[in-house]
Amino acid sequence: MVRYLAGLAFALLMALPAVAQVPGAARHVQAELVADRTAIAPGETIHVALRQRIEPHWHTYWRNSGDSGEATRLKWDLPAGWQAGDFTWPAPKKLPVGPLMNYGYEGEVLLPMAMTAPASAKAGDKVALKAKASFLVCADICVPEEDELAIILPVGSGPSPADPKWGPAIAKVLAEAPKPGLLTAVFQPKSASAVALAITGAPLKGADVAGAYFFPFDATVIDHAKPQTIDRGPEGLTLTLPPGYAFQGGKSPAAMAGVLEAGGKAYEIAAAPGAAPAGAGGLGPPVEHVAAGGDRLGLAVAAGFAFLGGLILNLMPCVFPILAMKAASLAGHGGGDSAAEARAQGLAFGLGAVATFLGLAGLLIGLKAAGAAVGWGFQLQSPPVVAVLCLLMLAVALDMSGVFEVGASLQGAGSGLAAHGGKLGAFFTGLLAVVVAAPCTAPFMGSAIGWALTQSAVAALVVFLALGIGFAAPFVLVAFAPGLLARLPRPGAWMDIFRKALAFPMYGAAAWLAWVFAQQADAEGLAKLFAAAILVALGGWLLGLRQRRATRTGAFATVAEIVVFMLVVVSVTSIAWPQDKAAAAEVAAETYSPERLAALRAEGRPVFVNYTAAWCVSCQVNDKVAISTGAVRDAFARHKVAYLKADWTKRDGAIAAELAHYGRAGVPLYLVYGRNGGEGVILPSILTPDIVVKAVEAADKS
Amino acid sequence: MTVRRTLLAAAFAASLAAPAFAEPELGQPAPPFTAKDDNGKTVSLSQFAGKTVVLEWTNSGCPYVGKHYNSGTMQALQKKERANGVVWLTVSSSAPDMQGYFTPKAARAWAAKEHWAGSDILLDGAGKIGREYGAKNTPHMFVIDKAGKIAYMGGIDDQPYEDPDSLKGAKPYVAMALADLKAGRPVATPVSRPYGCSVKYNSAE
Repeated sequence: MVRYLAGLAFALLMALPAVAQVPGAARHVQAELVADRTAIAPGETIHVALRQRIEPHWHTYWRNSGDSGEATRLKWDLPAGWQAGDFTWPAPKKLPVGPLMNYGYEGEVLLPMAMTAPASAKAGDKVALKAKASFLVCADICVPEEDELAIILPVGSGPSPADPKWGPAIAKVLAEAPKPGLLTAVFQPKSASAVALAITGAPLKGADVAGAYFFPFDATVIDHAKPQTIDRGPEGLTLTLPPGYAFQGGKSPAAMAGVLEAGGKAYEIAAAPGAAPAGAGGLGPPVEHVAAGGDRLGLAVAAGFAFLGGLILNLMPCVFPILAMKAASLAGHGGGDSAAEARAQGLAFGLGAVATFLGLAGLLIGLKAAGAAVGWGFQLQSPPVVAVLCLLMLAVALDMSGVFEVGASLQGAGSGLAAHGGKLGAFFTGLLAVVVAAPCTAPFMGSAIGWALTQSAVAALVVFLALGIGFAAPFVLVAFAPGLLARLPRPGAWMDIFRKALAFPMYGAAAWLAWVFAQQADAEGLAKLFAAAILVALGGWLLGLRQRRATRTGAFATVAEIVVFMLVVVSVTSIAWPQDKAAAAEVAAETYSPERLAALRAEGRPVFVNYTAAWCVSCQVNDKVAISTGAVRDAFARHKVAYLKADWTKRDGAIAAELAHYGRAGVPLYLVYGRNGGEGVILPSILTPDIVVKAVEAADKS
Repeated sequence: MTVRRTLLAAAFAASLAAPAFAEPELGQPAPPFTAKDDNGKTVSLSQFAGKTVVLEWTNSGCPYVGKHYNSGTMQALQKKERANGVVWLTVSSSAPDMQGYFTPKAARAWAAKEHWAGSDILLDGAGKIGREYGAKNTPHMFVIDKAGKIAYMGGIDDQPYEDPDSLKGAKPYVAMALADLKAGRPVATPVSRPYGCSVKYNSAE
């Protein structure tokens, strides 16, 4: 049967007009020429590509084939005046063979090249462009193969339309091919067995360079099969390469050119001899993604952690008061016909929360795509955002204190707390809850978000979706379970007291944000924030006044409210961006810098690095209960530990890069480096003095 | 973290366990070796002290080896240099079950068929000499001078192509190095890129 079908297929192939050679049965590579346009105009340059379909487990070679093999070649036989350019080589794959290393391609590959028609080409003609392709195709043995290929192109009169299949495919190869000019590189022999290749440039700043690799164009400059070691730097990286034949007998090549593959991208580099610039190294090898935040954390697990993290966020001091009030208000809908209203409000809240999480995710993904060094909590690095959040907390607190009632005027006075907001109110409660929850990075969320941000946009959105669902789940559950709803206490006079009591955590949250703001701004900025806060309170009181007296003082109050609102806006916008201010000096803590860390490690001292931020609640808690304790202070002194504080309160690319290398998108992160080098040990996100002391003792020994 | 540690430790252990793939150095004494030839005779590098020695890695199934034997250029060079008193050792490091593996009988049959004209064929199925010299390709060439030091290493010429047409106008590095040595001149091109098929070492090692 198979034989019959093959025979039939063969007969069909034979019956077709032979455009290109029909590949023989025993071939390991099937080759053809394809073009990105359906025609070519006189004088026009288009792209033609050599398409190779390589048998599974076989490979053909890159321009430098490595330790053995031979690059694919194409020899054109073109009509007079036609010109073909050289191949654009996509970044190759490493193909280890026993103790050797080859560079090449497997599966399907396109090698595009420019093709220019002469101005004298006649429109309407059909031109056959012929070429002989030579491949060396290898599995564990090698077979040379040759193909006489041809592509027939009509000569058009105007710019030619793109080929629907090969146009996009060739454009993709050209777009992804390594480009020169983005990175600067220098090389310097260090010993008989090491050449340092230092590469710097904007694309490498903060990039994840785990697995970075240099593919040389010239087969004699490195020993392909030996490992290349990576040393990260704030401005790039330094590869220590095994020198090739060109370095034999004390000689050195004039240049080292090739392709650097790093962070999922490929760059063409041309290194001149010279010493490495500052910033090309010193941070040690990249971490290959730690278990908690690395690639091993599958999407399902990350989504699971995100869901748990979302649940836990409900208990955060800045969120709980809002949700508790909302849940209590739902209890009023416990009976009969208003159960539907409770469900609708629950859904509206869930929708608000999930939509806000997805919105934040989109913003984060967008910012990351734009190259900003951001992570979870990034919004709190902007002083105006902190100021606005602080005032928002204050307004919520004033509302809870009963100074004024949000939504009451919309709903009509007297419907009380139960009607507080309605469906729209519930939606915005969800939104508000997410916005204020962001700083409370629960430990579970840290690794899930860190993982999400290193993944595709879809995976990141799934994680944030799980986070939103987890966050909204308790409230929606209460809204949908009449049994639970019935157990909640009925609204009554007690609720007014409860609400006013819960105002105080909100005042606390506002005070905390003012403190965060003080870390970022100067005293003048803080004064402006306080002025704005007083204006918010005044505005709230005026609003409340009007709500209580109905319309009697309406005109006056409206004008006053508008004036107050404008004053608030003016004072917030006038809050200047802060000047750099030294981080609050903790006893015995030094300010972190990659250089300082490298220097301390070179001295052979154990180092404790605390990645923290003023707006990170768990960081502050850890600081108070674990790090700033007598036991830890003594342990640090006993083991001569250097204590570095990396303050991420404000945006900092170097710190964001460091966090990313440990698979984190946010703080806290605690690292302990041993006396004798090696990898930093990651401590848990929730510290106790005992954990720190033990880690430090271990670091002194290792 | 623990997994990573374990992997690192395992990789380190593996790197220690793997036989070293040596890097011979130009101008340094050639690594000594002893091997059986295709007649079961034991051959040592040391027995050729005071003579110029050529090492040629071969694989009877490799198209690059074919380029130089089918055209007769390899045999011609072997004949000429042996007449000059050069010892020409052809080494096969293909592992059993790999392309070009030589049993003594297979080696003799190949030599007869190709009119091979070297001094001896060394059977290195374990890849010991190959690894010692860092032989990567077939043909990978080494020239050892009369003082026993490495005078040339690399390709047989400057045309790393399988295409027989590439023989025309090729710079015959090995022949040039041997001519330099004969004339007492320093070797003009002592190192070049070796090219050809990979040596078919036993990949399990």
